[in-house]
Amino acid sequence: MNAPFFKFGYFGEETSLIVAFIIGIGFGFFLERAGFGSGRKLAAQFYLTDLTVFKVMFTAIVTAMVGLFWLSVFGIVDLSLVYVSQTYLVPQIVGGLILGVGFVVGGYCPGTSCVAASTGKYDGMMYLVGIITGIVVFGEAFPLLKDFYSATPMGKITIPELVGVSYGLVVFLAILMALGGFVGAEWVEKKFATKVKGVGQ
Amino acid sequence: MKKIQLSLNQKLALILGILGFLAAFAGSPYTGNTATMNVKELALLVEKQTDHVSVEELADWIIKGRADHRLIDVRSVKEYEEYYIPTAENIPVASLFDAGLQRNEKLILYSEGGIHAAQAWFLLKAQRYNNSYILKDGLAEWKDRILFPSPAENASPEERSAFEKRKTVSAFFGGTPQTGTADTKTTAQIAMPKLDMPSASAASGSAPKKKKKEGC
Repeated sequence: MNAPFFKFGYFGEETSLIVAFIIGIGFGFFLERAGFGSGRKLAAQFYLTDLTVFKVMFTAIVTAMVGLFWLSVFGIVDLSLVYVSQTYLVPQIVGGLILGVGFVVGGYCPGTSCVAASTGKYDGMMYLVGIITGIVVFGEAFPLLKDFYSATPMGKITIPELVGVSYGLVVFLAILMALGGFVGAEWVEKKFATKVKGVGQ
Repeated sequence: MKKIQLSLNQKLALILGILGFLAAFAGSPYTGNTATMNVKELALLVEKQTDHVSVEELADWIIKGRADHRLIDVRSVKEYEEYYIPTAENIPVASLFDAGLQRNEKLILYSEGGIHAAQAWFLLKAQRYNNSYILKDGLAEWKDRILFPSPAENASPEERSAFEKRKTVSAFFGGTPQTGTADTKTTAQIAMPKLDMPSASAASGSAPKKKKKEGC
């Protein structure tokens, strides 16, 4: 068997929806177990008293990266078939900023708001209402935003291609960055936990 | 010497660091143009003839307008421009892997007789395009049986009624059924039908293909 399974036709479109559902539930479950169903925990990230979000997310990124890299080196995953979304530099930076502001103000990101809502938290539910309203407004306003939406297209690019270094070297550098980040995060947490009392946990 | 005690997190970090360090020297993760294949499995496929699509099946699918496959003409551009089976797109063998074929779509290959299509099929199978098929006996068979069908001599009533059916299929593709006697067959000017059927490239403008949604 070779991955990606869907691209190799091991299952059809209907089955892929079921697979997506199962993976989605799994994702939500582990977000909840990491404590991300609580807006306080997520907001603590921005007070620098609890950097769990940073640590969990960076762990997920490097785990997926190392897994994909080694599985494809051994020929189990065909990396050329793994979907890479297109880069539109300026609109994506603006989109990232909007998401960041929403995260700070609302205390959730889209995925964690679903987790919070499903565990019965009212703020999570309100956040979901906001997301859906935002989607509707964006959809209706799309004709006006269309030009900006597709501005500065760069196509499907990856860092190794862009910089012209080997794929494995980028993997190594990203891991060094992650390990450095984990050590730094622990240090920052200690420093700020003593300074700011009563915020966070 | 004091034994160093590592916490679970530190152990995991160490493993990550080692995997990352080795990755820097592991070469490219993309497989590229080389392939390994299961020859036994391919040989069985050939023997069972499950890799074939007959011209009648294909004609039926085109008439019904089925869009669950891509018909690929692996002949040269010049030959393609002279005549192609309706809905076919032209991808010569050498450019097979630059054409953006997807491994999860059904690919039907044809060439003049079938040899080139079979070779292209082999290459695709080696690159794990598992849903590839060959049009049996290629364009030659398409001409014989679909465009210019001729009734068997001393045909039975069943064969005659079957031939009537084939006449309508032939007419659909702009062919001319042959009357059957030996002299008309040799003297009749067999002209290839004009291409007024849409090709894949012409049709793509008016009927956009359903784009698969991917990503988050």
